[in-house]
Amino acid sequence: MAMVNLTINGQKVSAPPGSTVLQAAQLANIDIPTLCDHPALAPLGACRMCLVEIKGQRNLQPACTFPTTEGMDVQTESPRVVVARKFVLDLLFAERNHYCMYCEMTGDCELQALGYRYGLDHWVYPTYTKRFPVDATRLYFLMDHNRCILCRRCVRACSELVANHTLGVRQRGAESMIQADMNVPFGESTCISCGTCLQVCPTGALVDRRSAFMGRDIETEHTKSTCSHCSIGCGVEMVTRSGNVLRLEGDWDAPVNAGVLCQAGRFDPLYDERERVTKPLVRKKGELKETDWDTALQAVAKGMKGTKAQKLGVLASTYATNEALYLLRKLFSQELKVSNLGLLNKVAPVISDQGSLADIAESDIILVVGTNPVNDQPVASFFVKRAVDKGARLIVVDGKDNGLVPFAYMNLEMKEINRAVELAERAEHPMVLYGAGITKNAATALKKLGEKASFVALELGVNTRAAAALGLNNGFDASAAQALYILVGEQDLDGAPVLQKVGKDAFVVVQASFKSPLTERADVILPMAIWSERAGSLTNTEGRVQKANKAVEPKGEAKADWEILSLLAAKMGKKLGASLDDLSALAAEAIRPA
Amino acid sequence: MAKVKIATDWLAACAGCHMSLLDIDDRIVQLVQAVEFTSSPITDLKHPPKEGVTVGILTGAISNTHNIEVAKQMRERCKILIALGDCATFGGIVATRNMVGTEAALKRAYLETESTVDGLIPDSPELGRPLDRVTGIADVVKVDLFIPGCPPRADAIFYALSELLAGRTPVILPPEHFVYD
Repeated sequence: MAMVNLTINGQKVSAPPGSTVLQAAQLANIDIPTLCDHPALAPLGACRMCLVEIKGQRNLQPACTFPTTEGMDVQTESPRVVVARKFVLDLLFAERNHYCMYCEMTGDCELQALGYRYGLDHWVYPTYTKRFPVDATRLYFLMDHNRCILCRRCVRACSELVANHTLGVRQRGAESMIQADMNVPFGESTCISCGTCLQVCPTGALVDRRSAFMGRDIETEHTKSTCSHCSIGCGVEMVTRSGNVLRLEGDWDAPVNAGVLCQAGRFDPLYDERERVTKPLVRKKGELKETDWDTALQAVAKGMKGTKAQKLGVLASTYATNEALYLLRKLFSQELKVSNLGLLNKVAPVISDQGSLADIAESDIILVVGTNPVNDQPVASFFVKRAVDKGARLIVVDGKDNGLVPFAYMNLEMKEINRAVELAERAEHPMVLYGAGITKNAATALKKLGEKASFVALELGVNTRAAAALGLNNGFDASAAQALYILVGEQDLDGAPVLQKVGKDAFVVVQASFKSPLTERADVILPMAIWSERAGSLTNTEGRVQKANKAVEPKGEAKADWEILSLLAAKMGKKLGASLDDLSALAAEAIRPA
Repeated sequence: MAKVKIATDWLAACAGCHMSLLDIDDRIVQLVQAVEFTSSPITDLKHPPKEGVTVGILTGAISNTHNIEVAKQMRERCKILIALGDCATFGGIVATRNMVGTEAALKRAYLETESTVDGLIPDSPELGRPLDRVTGIADVVKVDLFIPGCPPRADAIFYALSELLAGRTPVILPPEHFVYD
């Protein structure tokens, strides 16, 4: 590829054709200050912080939008540029309320940082004393319009990344305001509280309620991990301080989500108020008594060993790591020869293994069959909505209440699958997203699309793909089990359908993080660490194996899901791999399609 | 060599900036060998001497008519005027009053607080009249050097005074002395 050659501050720089001046400068590690620009968003040129002097141009030009041309001569910090940037900052600080000292973002604010960089020791212009509203109608974060600099990062994030189009700007000039829909409170708008706008806001205009005033960024630690709340496997960063998770942010470098998260991944995990199980418990004379790990595991081993393989049952949640699911299969299915195994959620059938979530963006027709990503895998629904914005046709083959129906070109019933397949056959890049709600006939019909189409099963649960690959969904009958091992993990369920069938005298072991009707019935409860407290790996719905990391210590005596099973195996005299790295490798090998 | 004269005064301030001035600690001994503090709110002599001083330091915001008089007097009697602290540079905490308006702030403070009985808004002619809008000092008089911070660090004050004593103007504060948050 022919590169464009230019000079920036006297330094020779080459950039791919089509690059902006800012991109060319970044390639050469030349720092140009920005404010409205964001790497994940289309450049807008709203704030004028990145103004540069370009030889031959009468006016200073914004580097973020100005295209490079051969032989261009750019100055990024010339006296003229510095005067202009200071002027821009003076104006920005004069509008609305930018008193840093009582702002939540102080220390982490991009506007403030630029004030420091250009030595603004006082305000040149009288400040604006009009008071703007604070919108606190959303549960998780609030909007303080007084801190807003109208950079429109939030508006672009809402449209470009989430394709939700809730945010916009009303009025003009000094009266301009960020608004939701047709100027309704955020809490009553079409906002889905994914928090992407919160993550891109450069100032304290959008504030996370839970972590507000809990410490500046330098006082916190960031731990990259994989979201453990649906099967998409988004990259997250856990922001912690003194052993507490303050908030979750999307990992911009993550291959699956590239920074975006949904409400279920970003906020809900931190607002989980279910009561934790923090100590091993064993039932004695009808009552659950706290005990130590050794006694509890001994009780489990005794109960399991004393029961014939045919009378043993294993029920697993997919809210578990690859390592735990691998050990569960290894210990019960291979070592103890248990065949009564089941999963707590349904699994989608395999139609084809070609395709990835990234294909959604490249497709011209998208079939969504028997799955409702808006509820179950929200980030996947963002991908679909983005593609629809770009012109892809969306056909929803599911009920009328499917969350993607408002964006669909056509909403068909499952029995009309052939119409959808016919339309998809005429397209160049058909994409099929399907779920456990698909019928056998529909799955067969879709096979006709063959090589041309990309298929991704949007699995319910979290690590469903790994669990299915390990053969843990054997069909399960609770009534046939005299001894039952239930790995509930973090899954929120009342367990009634299972509990009704469990025999009165059955020996029930529950490995869980939270109290539930299942733990009440249990004979032994093994306390399990939650998403922020354990390391391991997870397989997403495309089959991508990703690392999950530990950011804080487990609560009480809880242990990682795989660690519990590893200790149990040792107690039963089986050595199944001890270190996490060994287990991860073994699990990945077992999960990989043959 | 005659000592360099410095006068300080406060306007609508909390005294924090003067505390920071005292936080120069033992370096103040070093300083008084070269300078003479003629007057300050925390000494017996309150007003800058009529014959004038070289450096005037004002802390606090312009909040009422009295503050304007003090600021103007200091400006007339000093050669170099330093606005010290966030209130002096841009209004600081005092300027939050602008968000509610002076009238509402007076009503809340003197009539409506939960502990007020028979409240009265002070209106003695001897008192300065509160202004409609709180500002930094530069809105009223010309300022030669701004040292922001709430309060500014003692190091920043010491640095600025040392530079002035060495005859270097204008004083360019290095980035580590900018703390306006």
